[in-house]
Amino acid sequence: MAEHQEGALSAYRVLDLTDQKGAFCTKILADLGADVIKIERPQGDATRSIPPFAGDVPHLERSLYFLFRYANRRGVTLNLEVADGKKIFEKLVKKADVLVETFPPGYMAGLGLDYQALRKINPGLVMASITEFGQTGPYRDWKGSDIVNYAMSNTMITSGFGDGAPINLPGTPSCDAASLIAAISIVLSLYMRGGDGQGRYIDSSVHECSRTALYPWMLPMYSYNVNPGAPPPPPEGRLGVMIFPVYPCKDGFIRVVALTPRQWDGLVRVLGEPEVLKTPEWREFYYRIANAADLYALMLEYTAKLTMQELFEKGHEEGVPVVPIYTVEGFTNSPQTEARRFYSEMKHPILGKFKYPGPPYKWSATQCEAKRPAPTLGQHNEEVYGKELGLSKQDLAALRRAEVI
Amino acid sequence: MANAPLQGIKVVSFGTGGVIPDFGMILGSLGADVIKVECRENPDFMRTIGGDPENIPGFNESNRNKRGIGLNLKTEKGQEIAMRLVKLADIVGENLRGGVMKSLNLDYESVRKFRPDIIYISSNGYGGTGPYAEYQAYGPMLSAFSGLLSLWCHPTDPYPAGANVPLPDHYASKMLVLAALAALDYRRRTGKGQMVDMSQVEMAANMIGEYYLDYTINERVPQPIGNRSPYAAPYNAYRCKGNDEWCAISVFNDAEWQSFCRAIGSPHWTREAKYADLPSRLKNVEELDKHVEEWTLQHKSREVMMILQNAGVAAGVLYRPAEIIDDPQLGWLDAIVEVDHPVAGKRLYPGVPFHISDVTLPASRPAPLLGQHTEEICREVLKMSPEEISALRDEGVLEFSTRLQEPKK
Repeated sequence: MAEHQEGALSAYRVLDLTDQKGAFCTKILADLGADVIKIERPQGDATRSIPPFAGDVPHLERSLYFLFRYANRRGVTLNLEVADGKKIFEKLVKKADVLVETFPPGYMAGLGLDYQALRKINPGLVMASITEFGQTGPYRDWKGSDIVNYAMSNTMITSGFGDGAPINLPGTPSCDAASLIAAISIVLSLYMRGGDGQGRYIDSSVHECSRTALYPWMLPMYSYNVNPGAPPPPPEGRLGVMIFPVYPCKDGFIRVVALTPRQWDGLVRVLGEPEVLKTPEWREFYYRIANAADLYALMLEYTAKLTMQELFEKGHEEGVPVVPIYTVEGFTNSPQTEARRFYSEMKHPILGKFKYPGPPYKWSATQCEAKRPAPTLGQHNEEVYGKELGLSKQDLAALRRAEVI
Repeated sequence: MANAPLQGIKVVSFGTGGVIPDFGMILGSLGADVIKVECRENPDFMRTIGGDPENIPGFNESNRNKRGIGLNLKTEKGQEIAMRLVKLADIVGENLRGGVMKSLNLDYESVRKFRPDIIYISSNGYGGTGPYAEYQAYGPMLSAFSGLLSLWCHPTDPYPAGANVPLPDHYASKMLVLAALAALDYRRRTGKGQMVDMSQVEMAANMIGEYYLDYTINERVPQPIGNRSPYAAPYNAYRCKGNDEWCAISVFNDAEWQSFCRAIGSPHWTREAKYADLPSRLKNVEELDKHVEEWTLQHKSREVMMILQNAGVAAGVLYRPAEIIDDPQLGWLDAIVEVDHPVAGKRLYPGVPFHISDVTLPASRPAPLLGQHTEEICREVLKMSPEEISALRDEGVLEFSTRLQEPKK
């Protein structure tokens, strides 16, 4: 039966003590079937307050950020800073395979819950810490944020128009980079544990991971350019629209990436072979980058005659990649998005049914999909603490009164 | 020395551009034996966008930690040899244009007949199914198709410019490393292999999933907000002293605001009521930004960062690569590696930032020259005789790099 089909990571339980830095890490483990238990303080995670909200009503259960990033988890509340809370946490750790936490360096150690302490309870535990700048080092106590992390990734300086202000990238890209590296480290550690039975500790930082996912080529481009002999363009300017040009068309904008002379020839055919574009120099990628403004002025006349979809399809026929610049709406309603069944239907206890964006890949033998919505605050306290840890109804009531859960 | 985590795992990579090359590079950094298949007629396209195909920084970064075989897949024998390699492999990675692997008889259905437990990682711009499955695309186009690019601009821009960055290539590659390892672990437990079919455009979408919910739940098409934040101010990139120098600053709550004001010397405007709390600062953000920039323009970007971080306020220089090399934290973390490449020489690359206890990773190896390891792969992996190798060379099936025998210029 479909609902009993397992995911590649269904064998594992993950304890999730993450904020934005690690939300994507535990999400992608959960999408592959891991049983991820999101542990929040009793008053609710700060990520529940990130706007915008469903219906624009600020409420702990309505943050779109929380609803997207924390789907597929079970949710419990727990105060780790009191003795009873710590005891319960240790019981959870005993039955877990993985713990992911994103507190500042030293916080878990201050509670007596660092890896050295937890491995005594569970020697097979794989624990991952994701911090802004790392557990150690001169910047370990520095603060980050989306725009600051992106700035330091060495890619923001290339964002935007040449003469304008650089632009932040939407979402939490630097955090997601750290989340990906942490998730890879976790599954690698589980794989190794299958051989040697050993748990492991993982130290990932947003600062170090950001450039490996955003643009690992920046540093080598610079390093190759400081000595003669290599031809890359200067990597530091805001060249996006020159390398990957954007042109207006009948009903919007398209982006064209012709890297090879063959692709350029295809583009000229798409545009009806105008003489002005048949000058041989235009076939050279670097010539086009160097003369992007002139080319833009020439191209307008021809791209403006066609629609986004016409240019997209003709580009495919002629062997040059052209793409519509879609809004979120354009992507959602694309026949490709529908054919891939990218969205699945979620049923949320408060918000009802809604379409939820699924994982970016399909798996042939194991399940990979968003099955349950983000948990409401403390939704699985009884299931996890009662049924699975064996606490009685009276215990739970007392813990609730004492604001431990 | 202990074994590398993926010692003994064999990967055959039919990769080009960013995604599958970076995927293989990471598996190689973890100790897998990654074999990259290319030939002169159909090289990785990254080799073709500069002068010397062996001296392209992007190519040489994304193809470290691999061996390269020169194998002409246009020939039937080339396809047979590729299948022999694949039969010996644990993982296949491919991101050739949709339909190409099938035309080479190397698609998942063909491969699994011989290796039912193969882990077959396939990555396409728009995914391996659907009406656009065979459309060619590069990263910057997929961020455009997904809607991500539409949000990556200032509200006043004529159209979104994005960046030089081939987003989401290097996210998709890491997602696929995760997938390959999860599939490998599943195979270890169950004996079953499988195929993973990635849509890179959906990867871009996964980076901003909350914006899609704004559309599906709130029925609203999200608009770009540039460098603003709905819950922090100041929050922007500010111009600093010098040529095109910038520092990003973010102030979320009142405690951080107080620290910020003290750190910049508490000029009189910071005491005005219109900046007293976050809602007021958000309301008067244009004016606030002007004041902040008056201060940042008096300092070098690095000074701005140091003054504010020392006061507990998040601030970061819009780094260029030279500043990455000088960053003391990255130095502390050993985040940059130097690798000696036979043609490019000693160059710097970002290390893959794995910090896992009791795991020592092998030193990074340079990207292969086209056909550099053809002979050793044929001999050691495929167990070919010298006669067979030279016959296949004469038939144009196998290709060998002669670069290392050439006199140095």
